[in-house]
Amino acid sequence: MKNLSGGQSNSSIAVSLARPKSLFWTNLGRNWYKFSRNPLSTIGLVIVLVIIISAIFAPWITPYPEHAGPFVDFENAGQPPSLQHLCGTDNMGRDIFSRIIFAFRGALIMALVVLGLAVPLGVLLGLIGGYFQGGWIDTVIMRITDIFLAVPPLILALAIASMLEPNLMNAMIAVTVMWWPWYTRLLYGTASSIKNEYFVIAAELTGASKFHIIFREILPNCLSPIFTKMALDVGWVILIGASLSFVGLGQQPPTPALGQMVSDGARYMPTFWWMTIFPALAIVLILVGFNLMGDGIRDMFERGMG
Amino acid sequence: METKENILLSIKDLHVWYRAYGGYLKVLNGVDLIVREGERVGLVGEAGCGKTTTMKSILQILPPRNFLIPKGEIYYKRKDILKMNFSEIQRLRSKEIAMIFQDPTAALNPVFTLGTQIGDVIRYSIALDRGKVRKEKIRALSVKALKEVSLPDPERMLVNYPFQLSGGMRQRVCIAMAISSSRNLLIADEPGTSLDVTIQDQILRLLKEIVEKKGTSIILITHSLGVAREMTDRIYVMYAGTIVETALTKDLFKNPVHPYTKGLLASVPKLSGGGLAKGIPGRIPDYLNPPQGCRFQPRCEYATPSCVETPPQLFEVEKGHLVACYLAQR
Amino acid sequence: MTQLGNNEILKAVNLKKYFRIGKDKKGPIFVRAVDGVNFSIRYGETLGLVGESGSGKSTIAYTVVGMYGPTSGQVLFKDQDIGMKAVRRPLSLKKEIQIVFQDPSSSLNPEQTIEQILSLPLRLHTRTPNRQFKEKMIELLEKVELPSEYLYKFPSSIGGGEKQMVAIARALASNPSLIVLDEPTSALDVSIQAKVINKLMNLQKELHLTYLFITHDLSLMRNVASRIAIMYLGKICEVADTATFFEKPLHPYTQMLISSVPVITEEEEKLKPKKVVSIGEIGSPVNPPSGCSFHPRCPFRMPICSEVDPEMIEVFPEHTVRCHLFSRPEETGSKGV
Repeated sequence: MKNLSGGQSNSSIAVSLARPKSLFWTNLGRNWYKFSRNPLSTIGLVIVLVIIISAIFAPWITPYPEHAGPFVDFENAGQPPSLQHLCGTDNMGRDIFSRIIFAFRGALIMALVVLGLAVPLGVLLGLIGGYFQGGWIDTVIMRITDIFLAVPPLILALAIASMLEPNLMNAMIAVTVMWWPWYTRLLYGTASSIKNEYFVIAAELTGASKFHIIFREILPNCLSPIFTKMALDVGWVILIGASLSFVGLGQQPPTPALGQMVSDGARYMPTFWWMTIFPALAIVLILVGFNLMGDGIRDMFERGMG
Repeated sequence: METKENILLSIKDLHVWYRAYGGYLKVLNGVDLIVREGERVGLVGEAGCGKTTTMKSILQILPPRNFLIPKGEIYYKRKDILKMNFSEIQRLRSKEIAMIFQDPTAALNPVFTLGTQIGDVIRYSIALDRGKVRKEKIRALSVKALKEVSLPDPERMLVNYPFQLSGGMRQRVCIAMAISSSRNLLIADEPGTSLDVTIQDQILRLLKEIVEKKGTSIILITHSLGVAREMTDRIYVMYAGTIVETALTKDLFKNPVHPYTKGLLASVPKLSGGGLAKGIPGRIPDYLNPPQGCRFQPRCEYATPSCVETPPQLFEVEKGHLVACYLAQR
Repeated sequence: MTQLGNNEILKAVNLKKYFRIGKDKKGPIFVRAVDGVNFSIRYGETLGLVGESGSGKSTIAYTVVGMYGPTSGQVLFKDQDIGMKAVRRPLSLKKEIQIVFQDPSSSLNPEQTIEQILSLPLRLHTRTPNRQFKEKMIELLEKVELPSEYLYKFPSSIGGGEKQMVAIARALASNPSLIVLDEPTSALDVSIQAKVINKLMNLQKELHLTYLFITHDLSLMRNVASRIAIMYLGKICEVADTATFFEKPLHPYTQMLISSVPVITEEEEKLKPKKVVSIGEIGSPVNPPSGCSFHPRCPFRMPICSEVDPEMIEVFPEHTVRCHLFSRPEETGSKGV
């Protein structure tokens, strides 16, 4: 039987074999093309992959994995950077390079957990607030969000973390609490504009439930801003985490944390500059890597042929 | 009688490619087009056929870094536009060729008054030759331009913002900007398409009047055969980046030859009734991998093996009537 | 309460839809999108609504389908009063009236496959058991001549005409009796438009559908509608069957609109009224001209036209006009026509 494009229609057997891949994977080549248009994005991606892989395989690839635990070697304290110690040693004789790699672990875990909790919460509230825009639900959700956003983020995190016992878990809780409102605001804007699209109206007119409309019609169209923001956020969550560990909240010694390492080394400046500078550069590297990669992800999601 | 002297614009074998994922979109595949002094030429084709690309090539406003012109020349008064340097192109845009864009709302800057916008066009055009111009002179010329497009109360119009005007009035302002200094060639991209039918009719009649009065040449780009019929002396029919047929307007409608032209004419619903034809099956080709031969061949019911291999060249079937089709050559 | 005639599926009685857009010293400001409209649609016919910006044709379509609730007046469908937004309508009513929007790129969810798009109405409105879902969807695709592989495609990978076919298939999925078509081919190329329209006409005959067809394209309307109503600034100016509408248009606006259409044959050229040429701007639905809202642009205007809004009068059988030229002489003081 001839059809619009001049081809033949198939039997349902052939159809059931052709399971679809999601839009992202189908277009993987095209998505890569769009991502890699700017060479900086690729550099960012490489940095990120290096950080992640080195964090995962830290015990096997660092020269002195035991230095990330309870270890002291005062004879070797304060060694400048050399071939044995790429970033020198700290005031307890521990290899800074190995400790930095191990610190990546805590940083990435924090990003994972914080975003893993904050994003679903923020997205859910934002979707609901945006869809019911103008009603009491909108007011309640958005005013609560506004309250959280009104407090300077770092201060909020510090306040919460200092109220609780200082450890990684509580630092993550603190950062999560200050992070979710940004996603609520993002989704509120996105959802309230998408709900006026004709395909949403078509679903409403035909009688779809609110659940279907919010989660099956609107949410799939919000994914690009969410993923873009998440990629860019990783760096910033890690930075806030470093700020917390800088003042002693968060990851406790002897487990290495980047902010803590910066803080410890600060009092030995400028003579033993490597104790502060290298951990600080590591933070910069993380931020730069995720930001550049995030830009690439944003380009990838942009409509157009690239 | 065709004389080389009064040819204003001549596009020869123009190829334009866009860079894209997977290669190049070979949109224009050898476009030949001529506009003489005082002529009204229509470029007719459906969405995606390359008419906008052609027009953007003339004024060199293709998206920078993303396009490639592997072959072809565009001669304006004997000079190749594609070889012009920046100041020559600026002069071309300022004094010789003007564009009237399709969507007047998008073509006008919402945060500046009309007076500022028209004034800018005029000032820049005069400044190229004579340096600074007095404000009063610019104002006078602006009012004159607005009067020519029959806008009511032109002096007061100057302080209005685009949002205060209706769509039809905005289109008139765009036309005024295009004719504010004397030009030799106007390019009108789908004039009136974004407007209501009765307003579009007024705009088209205005354009016709202006072109007649000033003797300007005009390239009218449209997807509507009806508009082309009313407004032009000669028509080029474009499909997938090639000119498939060109003839004097009256000849084209009386005796269409190319299967695409015939299919297009048959698909247009008639005011006099009679139902719709079947339309043309298929879609426009994938420009990444366009057909080797005739680009219309996959949709053509008269296709022959030679159509698949090599693209047909324009062939004169009667005086002034050329068709790019092997069918016509028999 | 008004009743539907024997063969009428839908009837609008003095329908008004105003949108409030703020207020000034004198009180609230309204856009009078639909300002007192009466029409009916008969079973199996295609009623065409034609008009330009501000005419109210889309607002009527959206009110029929439930995007808006009327400000006043009634809309009756098969003896039910449907003058309310879709959220308040019973599911059985939603099944009966469907709409096809103008731009398929925005009326189909770009992140859903065709399968997901079609499954929504099937799930809501039919009792198809899960096993037979796919079969039913393939059936729907076959009805609009699309291959079954399309089930797994996303709208972005198919052409405009095919997307619109999917939108039509979605509308058919619930077995409706009335389909509202809001400029269904305006976003498509002419060569594709013909296929889509032909398919719509065939489906109408095959499935005994009734259409409310809205477009600004008069040439298209000529070949699609059985009866046509032309609107200007929220009111109907003239209603007639298609042939009469084009051969003997009575209302000056009808004549103006027909004379503005670009045509491609001599035959059509002859059909265009030469006396009435388009002048003036379309009025504003916020502040329409007094009396007959068309009077500022009308070449035949009389003094009464700026004072009194004319009534709709049946000048010939099945041919109604709202114009003082055709009012009874004793009302206008003119000699009538």
